[in-house]
Amino acid sequence: MKRCAPLAVVLALLACAVAPMPAVAQAKDTLTVALVSHAPTLDPHMHFERVGILVNINMFDSLLHRSTKLQFEPSLATSWKAISDTVWEFKIRKNVRFHNGDVMTPADVKYSFDRVIDQTKKSPQYGNIRAIKEVKVIDAETVHIITDKPFPLLLERLVFFPIVNKKHIETVGDQAFGTTSPVGTGPWKFVEWKRDQLIRLEAFDQHWRGKPAFKHLIFRAIPETATQVAEVKTGGVDIIRDVSADLVPELKTHPQAYISSTPILRVHYVNLDMRAAPFDKKAVRQAANYAIDKSAIIQKMMAGLGTQVATVVQPLAFGFDPEVKPYPFDQKKARELLAQAGYPNGVDITLHSSSVAYRPVFEAMAEMLTEVGIRTTPRMWDPGPAWNKFFQAEGKATQGAYGTWGNYSVFDADAVLHPLYHTEPGGWIGKWFTRVEGLDKLIDEARSTVDQPKRKRIYAQIQQIIREEAPSIFLWTQYDTLGISKKVQYAARPDEWLWLYDAKPAAR
Amino acid sequence: MLSLVARRLARLVVVLAGVSLVTFAILQVSGDPIALMMPEAPEADRAALRQSMGFNDPLAVQFARFVGNIVRGDFGQSFFHREAALPIVLARMPTTLLLTVFAMGLSLALAIPIGIMSAVRRNTAFDHTATLVVFLGTSMPVFWTGIMLILLFAVHFRVLPVSGWESWAALVLPAITLATFSTPLLLRIVRSSMLEVIGLDYVRTARAKGVSEWFVICRHALTNAALPLVTVAGLQFGLLLGGAIITETVFAVPGLGRLIVGAIRQLDFPIVQAGVFVLALIVVLVNFTVDMLYLYLNPQIRVR
Repeated sequence: MKRCAPLAVVLALLACAVAPMPAVAQAKDTLTVALVSHAPTLDPHMHFERVGILVNINMFDSLLHRSTKLQFEPSLATSWKAISDTVWEFKIRKNVRFHNGDVMTPADVKYSFDRVIDQTKKSPQYGNIRAIKEVKVIDAETVHIITDKPFPLLLERLVFFPIVNKKHIETVGDQAFGTTSPVGTGPWKFVEWKRDQLIRLEAFDQHWRGKPAFKHLIFRAIPETATQVAEVKTGGVDIIRDVSADLVPELKTHPQAYISSTPILRVHYVNLDMRAAPFDKKAVRQAANYAIDKSAIIQKMMAGLGTQVATVVQPLAFGFDPEVKPYPFDQKKARELLAQAGYPNGVDITLHSSSVAYRPVFEAMAEMLTEVGIRTTPRMWDPGPAWNKFFQAEGKATQGAYGTWGNYSVFDADAVLHPLYHTEPGGWIGKWFTRVEGLDKLIDEARSTVDQPKRKRIYAQIQQIIREEAPSIFLWTQYDTLGISKKVQYAARPDEWLWLYDAKPAAR
Repeated sequence: MLSLVARRLARLVVVLAGVSLVTFAILQVSGDPIALMMPEAPEADRAALRQSMGFNDPLAVQFARFVGNIVRGDFGQSFFHREAALPIVLARMPTTLLLTVFAMGLSLALAIPIGIMSAVRRNTAFDHTATLVVFLGTSMPVFWTGIMLILLFAVHFRVLPVSGWESWAALVLPAITLATFSTPLLLRIVRSSMLEVIGLDYVRTARAKGVSEWFVICRHALTNAALPLVTVAGLQFGLLLGGAIITETVFAVPGLGRLIVGAIRQLDFPIVQAGVFVLALIVVLVNFTVDMLYLYLNPQIRVR
């Protein structure tokens, strides 16, 4: 009999566990957001992860802000102008307070840049702003940013470049700043962080824009989509991101939730390996572009949440040329081009992908290519170390790879053209795949002037060239799709930001 | 008997050393963390960082340094968290252990009584139903069970939270999910070892003495049937830790499993090494405890 006692204890424990039920319903002044994970640190300069940026922007301000219409707006800088090709002047907002009560000064602005430029700190954002040579404090409200050569992307980069508190960081140290005492000037201040569980923030009464609508802001880490959707339905969470196409209809009709969706800067493409057969022939690359029925995929497999694009440069980006038109779906033309290139009986190829979410789309495209004679074996990879090594570090994904590129949320053609097509050794994947004569030179030319009309002309030329040369199969731009509780009024933004200062309790 | 304990302890150290070596080797071939740490930096900057982090030294030197540091309890700084790796890992440990221990307790609480009943009432409706449930439990993947439980108890009936780790109630669904995975095997072990024992002479003798049936089963039969159960339960504990990784993901539980999976994605070597080491240590300790339980349960081993 004694032996059965532990069982009774376990059962009793279980009974106790069920007893204290928390209130599932949320308090009215609390906004809860689900992210798939938390960034490794709350220090806005020491990581480069979307999930971290989404938290940081609600705690920290940058010099500039971007409106929902994608225009630059004053934030901690009230005005800015280029004094010369390499010197920019910024007027700094006065009487802005940090969460700990300190007043924000130009010295804080300089310090913020210095800690990223200082390579001993190993900031992963260094590459973003390495064109900045020096930041000079001119007077109590003026700062000069000096670049080593003309840097047209400077303003884009400053939209997410949070200004931190020099005195505070020097007192508490970098590590404590990133874990237990992050201090910014943003609408919400830090309360607590339980790693991979929740980040709890509270409205900052002295925020210069005025107090945000929600007193409490919570970022929960919920990796599984099905779980996130269940949370939205039961009111445990108010906003979820990246709602996949198959879940859209379900949330659209749910009594407690709605969908908000908008085109974003993420473009899909299949990069083709131009170094070897069969994609060393232009006609084969064009054939592949004609072979894919893009609108059918968007309508039938992506719940209509996508827009076909002519190249990888997207309508939202600076430099986009609407005159360049997408390849139509034309199987006959594809077969002709394939025959012209010397493959009348078709050709066998392998394509690679690591995008689990778009696996069905990838396989459908392989099927469409096979139909016109480009017999494709789709190979899926686990997104992780093996894929990174194989594809990114060693460029082995012959004869092509399906991928997506988010432009680091920089609304400029350069942010996609350089990583995808520039062949310089330190570049991203262009060095492995792309061989278009003269393209490198044009990309370099456009990035080394701040003369915007001139840049626009160069980008138009580039788009015509790549439309013709087809270094990729050009596909579509993705949409950002949020699932939102009906208790909250908010809309998805084209830059994928969750700028929750705009979130309001829904009128009842 | 002392030498036996010493031998087992020595084996423990060997296993841990082996696990460290294997983890180290796998991580070495899995890619370049610098490329992930500085995604847009020029090659020269990356080379400098690689040099300063000691990645250019010969592998043997790196491994020697790694082992030397472990002995001092230092797994290095996490590349991504920029803090010492071991404290981060240890902070997550209680969550995973609580979940696993709870699931194990639940499993045993179900498996032992039902297993005994099935054995005693062999080939009755009860036994057949139990067998059917065992098959169901074994066939359901952990993540699917988890999502179904969420849909049923959190979305439809609204009696339990969907996910998280904010209250005791949040522990219930993950623990049941995990227990669904381990209960079937334990139940079968209890049933079959009870069946083996129940027909033996000494049980018949006990009955003949006029001892109550309940006492015969609990005291005489179960003690001897417990040996295989303890073995399997010990092994199952390791599997449960593995299963906890999936359960933690489905239920957004901030445990060690999620930390390690995230670290693997980011090639955060120190976290992976510290995490795997700590998990291995737990598994090895549990098995050591099982060995010690043998000594208690089976006097024959003590004599040998």
